[in-house]
Amino acid sequence: MSLVDSVQNAVVKNDCEDQVVLVLPNKPEYVSVARLAVSGIAGRMGFDVETVEDIKLALAEACTNAIKHGCCEEYSEYRIEFGIGQKCLTISITDKGCGMDKKAICQPDLKNPREGGLGIFIISTLMDRVEFETAPEAGLTITMKKYLGV
Amino acid sequence: MSSQSSHNKNDGGEFNMRLKGEIDIYTAAEFKKQLNAAIDEDLGDLHLDCSELQYMDSTGLGVLIGALKRMKEQDRNIYISNLRPNVRKLFSITGLDKIFILEV
Repeated sequence: MSLVDSVQNAVVKNDCEDQVVLVLPNKPEYVSVARLAVSGIAGRMGFDVETVEDIKLALAEACTNAIKHGCCEEYSEYRIEFGIGQKCLTISITDKGCGMDKKAICQPDLKNPREGGLGIFIISTLMDRVEFETAPEAGLTITMKKYLGV
Repeated sequence: MSSQSSHNKNDGGEFNMRLKGEIDIYTAAEFKKQLNAAIDEDLGDLHLDCSELQYMDSTGLGVLIGALKRMKEQDRNIYISNLRPNVRKLFSITGLDKIFILEV
């Protein structure tokens, strides 16, 4: 490892000091486990009760999305990575699906409300920063960030 | 998630349902079943008391939107009361607080 690499790694580690990884089966009954985990992590970091609820909901929407669209096989799993920094919680959810069309993210049409398609909109509304990354044959990764004290 | 239903005969045949616990991708199917049964059973408006509903996400909203469409076809309505702040926020950020009748 070169000096530049080790310095860059140190910067990354400083930003996200601890990592917690959760791999869940694509079964709806385990989404509550993800909610419990993030409640514990966000609460410990010092987020207020309302923000913890927002993060919980955003993560649950991402998990629901992974189960509904990101697990093409009957028995599959998806991965949740929590990056716990001093001032920022980063959550990445990676599934094994076929990715998504970013154009699908739009404001709900109140004249003709649909029964689905609200999840990604809710995530984008509640979190400070959201990124979608699709790689061929690697599924979709949703990375969301919430900053402390913002 | 669980719900308790009661039929209030004194007030124009309205149907009251008390929602409890959490509505997510795991419990939404059961919620849909119970809601549809309530819609089929009665001809009046549907009143949902959410004072003990601790959590709901877009899967629950989807069920409610589907139910509201059915109700509107029959010129009936859904009234939602006693939402906890976290669930009320879900309605407000999606704009669905303008579609459903939210009571205090």
